[in-house]
Amino acid sequence: MIEKRLSIRGRRKLTKPGVYVGMIVILSLIPLFIQSPYLIHIFILTFIYIIVTVSLRTITISGQLPLAHAAFMGIGAYTSSIVAKELGWPLWFAIPMGALVAAGFGILTGYLFARLRTLYYAMGSLFFGIGMVQVFLVFNRWTCAYQGLTGMPPLLSTVSKVPYYYFFLGLTLLCLLALYRFEFCRIGTTLKAINQSYLVASSVGINEARYRVLVLAVGCFFVGLAGAVYGHYVRALSYTSFDMLATLWLFMYALIGGIGSFAGPIIGTALLIIVPELFRELKEFVPYISAGILLIVVFVMPEGLVGLPQLMRSWITKLRE
Amino acid sequence: MELTVITVINALVLSSMYILVALGFAFLFNIMGILNFAHGAIYMVGGYICYQFAVEWGFNQWASLLLSVILVSAFGLFLEKYCFRPFFGNLNRTIVVCIAIIIILETTVNITVGTQVRSLPTFVPGILRAGIISLSAEKLVTLIIGGALLAVMIWFVTSTKLGQQMQAVSQALEGAALQGISIHRVSAVACALACGLATVAGCLMGAILSLSPFMGGRMLLKALELVILGGIGSMGGIFFAGLLIGTLDASLPLFISGAANEAIVLGIIVIVLLFRPQGFFGREAG
Repeated sequence: MIEKRLSIRGRRKLTKPGVYVGMIVILSLIPLFIQSPYLIHIFILTFIYIIVTVSLRTITISGQLPLAHAAFMGIGAYTSSIVAKELGWPLWFAIPMGALVAAGFGILTGYLFARLRTLYYAMGSLFFGIGMVQVFLVFNRWTCAYQGLTGMPPLLSTVSKVPYYYFFLGLTLLCLLALYRFEFCRIGTTLKAINQSYLVASSVGINEARYRVLVLAVGCFFVGLAGAVYGHYVRALSYTSFDMLATLWLFMYALIGGIGSFAGPIIGTALLIIVPELFRELKEFVPYISAGILLIVVFVMPEGLVGLPQLMRSWITKLRE
Repeated sequence: MELTVITVINALVLSSMYILVALGFAFLFNIMGILNFAHGAIYMVGGYICYQFAVEWGFNQWASLLLSVILVSAFGLFLEKYCFRPFFGNLNRTIVVCIAIIIILETTVNITVGTQVRSLPTFVPGILRAGIISLSAEKLVTLIIGGALLAVMIWFVTSTKLGQQMQAVSQALEGAALQGISIHRVSAVACALACGLATVAGCLMGAILSLSPFMGGRMLLKALELVILGGIGSMGGIFFAGLLIGTLDASLPLFISGAANEAIVLGIIVIVLLFRPQGFFGREAG
């Protein structure tokens, strides 16, 4: 029995990297087959939101429920765009600047809300996020929040979407690799321990407040980076992409895929962005598709889409009996 | 002088509407442990159903208010039975269900009525004059209805058997179940009540301000602010926080723009949470 299990594990160890390499190859071949710039655009948006959702999930492994994540994306986007547009700073400086400012705000909220736990933390960060959106509106002179901020320099000097596609594919893979390494190194394990019981964790000498601030800084850095490149790619920012509903949507992406595993948010984001686009002819009925996906997943799959293979296996055994 | 009186009346009207919505939200949270993010959408749909009855089909306005309260309360019973009960105690999955409900309700309103801003006709036309002060009768009636409903709710929760059962369930779920209280019946009543209260607020606010498919988001935010600021599990805290936030919302726009007003209110709440993480009258630290 043990031998059998070992052999299965051994085979898995070989197949898993194979699956990853295959998926990357397929993704890098997509622009050769799809000519429509609109579809490529949808893929690029999916890549950006994958970074955002996975960084959101990275924060949740420490047991915090950050309901201000879209606002941090907004901080990164507005900082980078305004710095590049008003001061004329080069992009290779402005984009890391946006990411660092978002991380700085993350550290600030981490220290401010260190006493708040679970639900109170979620609510505190929710109010912080909505407050940030209002701050964008107050500084309308620079953010142009009401009429939409435009005129920031483009990311790449091409009209075609294909170079953008490869740029975002590479960026997303890099960010995913970094976040994966972060989650499965010693710090990530410590964070999971804090999630299970912060009292036990602090009793064995873990400074849990510092770790919670650290994970916020990392998560907000990546979301700020995603926001900054998003701003220079779309070149039109509106505050509605960063408000409470946007944050809740990010949560939907993570929960539908399965917030318990690393692959979950990636699958959920891809599904919830791409599938409604397939039904674009339905026009105003499209939101029903998203709602239908949410309802089906939440009623049928308790673990999210990641738990689907296991669920199907149990259904098959039930059918055989 | 005139400005002061009008601001006070506005503050009371806003506070009573906020408290009506937040009270229902707090019932759901205390009894079933769910954060009902769809509460704002239910508030919006209540207003639109009243609009449909009163304006499109020409019913009496008060009758359509009553009809919409009954309809939305029935919808609340449906929600409790088929959407919240299967996920009892699982916060993440109830949030997903709530978002799905928000999408469905908002899209349905968009398709059937349209996205342009509508308005309910006033329930009581006319302007009251007393000396130099003139005041629309509508606001006074809203205030009276809101205050009366809140008084009824206090009486219901503290004095009736069902209300006391609700209190018992919110204090200790298992203990209440062991005493023979039917948890599901209590949560069904709470859900219907919450939806009914939100509908009343939606109709009255729809007559004072206007109806739009996205007006629920702001009210949901206010309900969250009230419940967290007042303290989870405290009914008096909701009244206190409601009066505070209603007063701020009514008086701050006299001095500054709308967005700054909202930012200041949220800043105050965040600062209060820093010093009292459990809110003003909360039972326990989170």
